[in-house]
Amino acid sequence: MSALRDSLRGRVWLVTLAALVTLFLVNLALQPNLLTPNVLKSNLTVFLPLVLVAIGQTYVILGGDIDLSVGSIVALVNVVTVSVIAMTGGETGGILLGIAAGILTGLACGLFNGVLIAILRFQPIVTTFATGIIFGGLALRVLPTAGLPVPAGYWRTYAGNVLGIPTVLWIFVFALLAIAFIARRPFLTHLMATGGLRTAAFQTGLRVGPIRIGAYMLSGLFSAFAALCLTGETASGDPLMGRLLALSSISAVVLGGTALAGGRGSAFGSLLGALVIGMISNVIFFAAIPFEYQTLTTGLITLLALAGGVLVSRR
Amino acid sequence: MHRARTILTDPLVLAALSILVLLGLGEAVSPGFARGDQIVRLLTVSAILGIVAAGQSLVVIGGREGIDLSVGALISLGALLAGNVMSGQDGNILPAILVAGGVTFAIGIVSGLGVTVLRIPPLVMTLGMAGVVQGALIAMSRGTPSGNAAPTLMAFVNRPLVFGLPGILFVWALIALAMWFLLRRTTLGYAIYAMGSNERAAEFTGLPTRRLRTLLYGLSGMFAGIAGVCVIGYTGNSFISVGDQYVLPSIIAVVIGGISLAGGTGNYFGVVLGAIALTILQSVLTTLQLEFWGRQLIFGAVLLALMLLYGRTRQLRV
Amino acid sequence: MTQTPSAEPSPARALHAQGVTKRFGAITALSSGRISVGKGEIHALLGANGCGKSTLCKIIAGTVSRDGGTLEIDGRPADLKSPREAEALGVALFYQELSLVPQLSVADNIFLGHEPRNAAGFVDRRRLIADTEVLIARFSAVAGSGFAAGTNVSRLSPDQRQIVEILKVLARNPSIIIFDEATAALDKRQVDLFFSILRTLKAEGVAIIFISHRMDEVFEIADRITVMRNGETVAEYGAGEVDRDTVVHDMVGKLADHQREARPPRPAGETPRLVVSSVSGGRLRDVSFSVAPGEILGLGGLQGQGQSAILQGLFGAEPFARGEVSVDGRPVRLRRPADAIRAGLAYVSGDRGRDAALHGRSIFENIAAATLVSERRRFVWPSALKPRFEKAAAGLNTKYAGMEAPIGSLSGGNQQKIFIARWLATDASILLLDDPTKGIDLGAKGDFFELARDLAAKGTSIVFYASEDAELLGLCDRILVFNSGAVTAELSGDTRDAFHLTRAAYGETA
Repeated sequence: MSALRDSLRGRVWLVTLAALVTLFLVNLALQPNLLTPNVLKSNLTVFLPLVLVAIGQTYVILGGDIDLSVGSIVALVNVVTVSVIAMTGGETGGILLGIAAGILTGLACGLFNGVLIAILRFQPIVTTFATGIIFGGLALRVLPTAGLPVPAGYWRTYAGNVLGIPTVLWIFVFALLAIAFIARRPFLTHLMATGGLRTAAFQTGLRVGPIRIGAYMLSGLFSAFAALCLTGETASGDPLMGRLLALSSISAVVLGGTALAGGRGSAFGSLLGALVIGMISNVIFFAAIPFEYQTLTTGLITLLALAGGVLVSRR
Repeated sequence: MHRARTILTDPLVLAALSILVLLGLGEAVSPGFARGDQIVRLLTVSAILGIVAAGQSLVVIGGREGIDLSVGALISLGALLAGNVMSGQDGNILPAILVAGGVTFAIGIVSGLGVTVLRIPPLVMTLGMAGVVQGALIAMSRGTPSGNAAPTLMAFVNRPLVFGLPGILFVWALIALAMWFLLRRTTLGYAIYAMGSNERAAEFTGLPTRRLRTLLYGLSGMFAGIAGVCVIGYTGNSFISVGDQYVLPSIIAVVIGGISLAGGTGNYFGVVLGAIALTILQSVLTTLQLEFWGRQLIFGAVLLALMLLYGRTRQLRV
Repeated sequence: MTQTPSAEPSPARALHAQGVTKRFGAITALSSGRISVGKGEIHALLGANGCGKSTLCKIIAGTVSRDGGTLEIDGRPADLKSPREAEALGVALFYQELSLVPQLSVADNIFLGHEPRNAAGFVDRRRLIADTEVLIARFSAVAGSGFAAGTNVSRLSPDQRQIVEILKVLARNPSIIIFDEATAALDKRQVDLFFSILRTLKAEGVAIIFISHRMDEVFEIADRITVMRNGETVAEYGAGEVDRDTVVHDMVGKLADHQREARPPRPAGETPRLVVSSVSGGRLRDVSFSVAPGEILGLGGLQGQGQSAILQGLFGAEPFARGEVSVDGRPVRLRRPADAIRAGLAYVSGDRGRDAALHGRSIFENIAAATLVSERRRFVWPSALKPRFEKAAAGLNTKYAGMEAPIGSLSGGNQQKIFIARWLATDASILLLDDPTKGIDLGAKGDFFELARDLAAKGTSIVFYASEDAELLGLCDRILVFNSGAVTAELSGDTRDAFHLTRAAYGETA
């Protein structure tokens, strides 16, 4: 038993992968048309936002911090993007401008969080809780009620194919490449050192402050990507979008084997963790659990997964 | 001069001053805002927030990033349970309080065990627990509200009892006294401050910090449940997200009251003033016809400003 | 490859520090530090606790700034403001702890912040692993299984971690290295390999400052020896031209006559209050001793040789892995502080801020915590407890405004008195003192010693670790000297003097 635990150390994502395969098979049994391209694509479309947010959240948690404002960042980016597109008239140039504005918004939110926490030494949990309220308030300011449809060009591209391959699959592959890219930068090692033992990182001469800010900006960036995907899915603006993303992204990160204490884990694991969460809600949906029990089941599984993940990823 | 400055930065004085300023502001914007019956109404609303914030205070003073985000869901649960047990009958008020407080206490203990035994950060654990309770609420109510308050309870919360004040205000005063006694006259209270101030040192004096911390989350749950009973007494019936509006204010009231989010400081009297100040602020913002986003922005900014005053982490000492 | 050390320092030496001074507040850590190391020379720095050798090393490594004196590196004056600047000049300091990230691999740790990169700025993992393996190969004979470039540091044993720390220093290719207790966790074979690495570095022209708590090692490896005492460099020798006792005499200085009131000897055949048999775990290796009622037992030796580990183990803060402890003849299990307190033990830590202070709380609360627990009280009536606490604090000459004043309003010495009063109010029968006078003023120290003697006279057993030898010699009936987690000597009667204490601290058995 201890030998098993030993060999799994640092490869907790293998457990997550096993869980994912099992869930996939259960899902297949409940929903025989799961393997048709259209169903797979629609599943991926639903899962993608959480996958992206969870990837960003991983970097913050690896650095020993946490970001509870991701949901509000998603909402803010969404309303900024749709508003900019609406203002510029919905041509291709306008759409690109809207996307750029959204990405900049996400980065700015991350920078704001990072400066408060790494430079002004605010507590990460309550600070991102507070900034989440602020970002959410700003989203309501930009767009008070849901609406403001995006031009067809936007959502058709998102729902369609590029070079014969579904756009969502492109984005998924892009996310994998981004993970691989970051994993090979010295930054990630420095970030994990910062989250692992901050005094050691400091003593070794690492610039701990900018490293933590960088992690928050990555979280903001990936939240922005998630918001752009959600915008493609809903084809409109919604200032209350992404409410539950903070908790589910943390759950995905923990499920993927990343320690909440920081310093240990991987973004790839979180990607698998997010897919597991998506699969769980699929299974709950198709398992004919009465509607009124679905939220309870999801909540319980999330809590159990959190507890289990914390136990498995502990030293 | 120096003395004047220390008095002015005392959280109790700041909270009391802001109550006066906000009342004056409200009166200026809308004459009659600070009339006697209006103030009683504001105090009644404050009482519910104050009861929730009592539990939140204990968890925050206990330290180690203590916070309880499940209070919203537990208020809704308390209200739903109380409403169903009472079903409009005066004779069922006491059982309703016991059921609501007992169930929420048990759920709080579970959160506490997650925090102390599994070492899940309190914020994540209580947020997760909030999700579960929310799900349970949907399952229990099947989406439609049920249960209603007993007439005596409603009268107790809303109608003047003695000196023109409703009964709930006397309950709140009793709770404030009980909180003072708990924190200042029992070993548990001393232990809460000790472990919030320095958990290692507290363990070194022999305190069972794990057990005590678990208990704190139970107490926080119980206070939320009792607040739920008050909510259904205030409105007559409940809906499944009735408690959500109290989560954020309960934290801000605690911080306004001078309790550092780092733990180990503050007392409940400050929180009482904080709950009143916050309720008046909400009322003023509504009177000013500020939109929801503006109120959110002000809440977030107030929280950050208070963190700047009281809540910064200690510098990395190498 | 033999290097003949010159007797006089020349400007071309790798490192030359002279007349270096440093004050921390009211305490003078260095009054006249001097060390001069040539290229390709291994230079041992010796001295008793608190002689200033660590401060001098930190000044050379740039982690502490000097107040006065000169520092030359490679013949050029160096004004170091940060560790980074020292590193740029080729100086590397071996850290005893805190420098490795347990969650990262050996390779990542060794090259943290200096990762080899390819043209695109990615980490060149192949080179990272290869470079690490070359470094590990130097120790391969003893590194043992499970220690490869990709191994997580959290899985390494303490000696393996120390090897990684050494490799981390070597990976920077420094021209001056300070090894402060780099051999502390290593066994004999590993030390031999480490020394062969040192000799290779020496052949490459690297200047090495070597600090060790083992006299054998010093005489085995060092070319030259500098001895410090009381913040001052007092002697410098070529290693071949001096014997061990001379060096010890230099460290101790003129034998001070420690005034000590004769205390009546304890009756023979008395049941010991505390018996510790064969405890191990962490740094400790098979430690046994006993303490009689009313006896003051000292724990001596250089810092970090297991003295604190014994005390924290007895208090249940860092439980022992093996061994037995009994109090008044009854075996006790000490898994957490509450167990120890129930058995009648009390612990006063030198690290007040970490282990004792309830920051921001009143003096009353700081005293009350232990009393409330040990007396199993449920309610607190301050008016009933205050007179008791005031008496306990007054017995220590504590100066404070009132029981309601915050603990932070007191000086370090008065704070420590409060934390002692905390335990006096519980009537503990065994007092564990873990370097309790660290950072407190002389007056408070005097009060403290008086209190310890009074308590012992009333029958309290005291186990006392002090990093200052004079305190041990002045207070204790008996002194156990620790070296590398084991007891190397027991001093009492005639051998209870500074010379024997220092000798034993450096691992010289009587």
